[in-house]
Amino acid sequence: MNDFTNKAREIAKRLLADGTVSVVLGWEKGDEPYASAPTAITELAEVDRLIIDEYCIHEIAALLTDYRDGTDKVAIFAKGCDVRGIIRMIQDRVIPRERLHIIGINCPGMKDPNEYARAASGFGKAPAAEIAAKCQVCQNPNPFIYDEIIGDLQKVEPSNERFASVEEIEKMTPDERYNFFAQELSKCIRCYACRNACVACNCRTCIFDESKPQWVGRSTDTVNNMLYHIIRATHVAGRCVECGECERVCPVGIPLMLLNRKLVKDVDELFGPYQAGLSLEDDAIPPLSRYRVDDPDEFM
Amino acid sequence: MKVLPLDKLREALNIMANDAEVYVPMLRDDISGYFQWADNPADELALDLLNTYLSPKNVVIPQTEPMYKFKTSKQDVEITEVQVREGARIIFGIKACDLKALENLDMAFLTMGFEDEYYKARRQDLTIIAQACYKPGPACFCEGMGADRINPAADVLIHELENQDYAWEAKTSRGEELTAKIAALMEERDVTLPQAEPQSRKVDMTGVSEKLAEMFEHPVWDDLSSRCMNCGICTYVCPSCYCFDIQVSNRGEAGNRFRCWDSCMYREYTMMAGGHNPRDYKKERYRNRFLHKLQFFNERYGANLCTGCGRCVILCPNGVNIIEVIEKVKEVKLDA
Ligand code: SF4
Ligand code: SF4
Ligand code: SF4
Ligand code: SF4
Ligand code: SF4
Repeated sequence: MNDFTNKAREIAKRLLADGTVSVVLGWEKGDEPYASAPTAITELAEVDRLIIDEYCIHEIAALLTDYRDGTDKVAIFAKGCDVRGIIRMIQDRVIPRERLHIIGINCPGMKDPNEYARAASGFGKAPAAEIAAKCQVCQNPNPFIYDEIIGDLQKVEPSNERFASVEEIEKMTPDERYNFFAQELSKCIRCYACRNACVACNCRTCIFDESKPQWVGRSTDTVNNMLYHIIRATHVAGRCVECGECERVCPVGIPLMLLNRKLVKDVDELFGPYQAGLSLEDDAIPPLSRYRVDDPDEFM
Repeated sequence: MKVLPLDKLREALNIMANDAEVYVPMLRDDISGYFQWADNPADELALDLLNTYLSPKNVVIPQTEPMYKFKTSKQDVEITEVQVREGARIIFGIKACDLKALENLDMAFLTMGFEDEYYKARRQDLTIIAQACYKPGPACFCEGMGADRINPAADVLIHELENQDYAWEAKTSRGEELTAKIAALMEERDVTLPQAEPQSRKVDMTGVSEKLAEMFEHPVWDDLSSRCMNCGICTYVCPSCYCFDIQVSNRGEAGNRFRCWDSCMYREYTMMAGGHNPRDYKKERYRNRFLHKLQFFNERYGANLCTGCGRCVILCPNGVNIIEVIEKVKEVKLDA
């Protein structure tokens, strides 16, 4: 992927030099071979920090909330999943398409730097997968909305695996299900990394940061942890782009995509066919963000 | 030297747990932490780990800690129970970085003219069994932060031998007392202590706090903070971050006050009544964390609030690395 880096620097230099954009969102390298990290470059002299390699897994579109109040143009390097995240941001009116210069990256699948850091650390069990779990089932590695593009189109293996684990949970009895989630969510330390890494969690003031009234208690007990997760999952229902970042960033390994995929599946079955973040057309607005007379209402 | 054979360890922990809460490195699914011995049957003893993802600070500052219960009637409030948790506690296998963090917590909660009674209750009867660290990991930099990883000050110091038994040295009278309780499980043996391997990550803090004091408005914070997403991972896994929030939950007339960890990375942390937020942007929140770790605490207590455990470096999902921050700070050229 070496020439990706060279291309990225060339493009960033051009965009900053000719004033097309005032900031470039991409990745740079830390002090370990696996330590790629998101960055925002604003100076021409700093462009050579940019890299693109096999550890650029982060959903970089989540950083767009930092620019919501400006008028400047933002260049953003975007893998397939990042483009879906960008569509989320545009449809949720965080930032308009006109303020973005999207440089697509046809993505061969990424490794998770955190998995490698954990494996090297000696601090716990080391997950072993080469290519990150979320990339193994990715159906959209190739950006489909962009201003320019890097790399060759990737072949996609069609896969229906993404709902397999949800179906396992659906087969459980209500008690089994409750116990399963109670056990998993009891580990949550309420660091809110799952929310902050999420492109759909782009609200200016999140319900969990409100204190008057306080909707969910701050104590880390099963009830409040469950409330947190149920509310977040329903808030992102129909808007989750399945980038898998919440699950990747969780420091205690909670399988959050089970919750999100259940709602993806429900929205698709009840209001669909629908998948979030695949189109900018008007009719692709998330089903729960619009009203239609023929919306199902049997539950009312 | 006294040796506690590995196959006697469980028995030793059981004996200790007879009259104390014993905290031991354990695995709960994929996550490691200092959990209470025999508390949750699903936890597995995890002594082969270099350290744990979750720090041992929960022993003295649990994430959620009840404070008191109250009852209201009209204008009156009656406190019905104060939930100070005294009692014997033992921490087994703590490493030098986390022990140094405990010293930091002591300074914050017990010195400068105020003693926090909840902290003191958990801390005063805590026996520390520390483990010498001969093989540091790639993220460890405790030496640069002034820790003595082979000889940390503790009640008991243990050394893992080649066959995984523990060489056992009681260092204080408290340590002697504890040792006496499990003396029957110990053997007297000639032992060869392991060779200490060098720590690969070096940090030199010389002049860093002083320089940071000049850098509050420096543009480097914009650049450094650009990758951070203001979650709470770094502060919650850090053994020395001690911020908490006091909260209340009530049902009808009865209520209880509790405190819970808080993080300066959160916007809500500095939210004022009336809606003003002095740290409205992530740069300001990010800067606060590093200044508290590397400057403010040094100014107030004369010590770094980072102890080099490496947890935030391993677990930050966006690659924020405190060592790189220190290096960047050193590179900055200040105008005369
Ligand atoms: S949890 Fe809900 S309120 Fe909070 S950011 Fe996400 S969608 Fe918004
Ligand atoms: S990232 Fe994990 S630990 Fe943090 S709030 Fe989300 S589920 Fe809880
Ligand atoms: S430094 Fe990393 S772990 Fe800490 S708040 Fe920022 S993104 Fe989260
Ligand atoms: S700041 Fe990071 S490395 Fe330093 S003590 Fe805290 S978690 Fe450990
Ligand atoms: S770094 Fe932040 S969370 Fe940690 S102790 Fe300091 S102010 Fe509190």
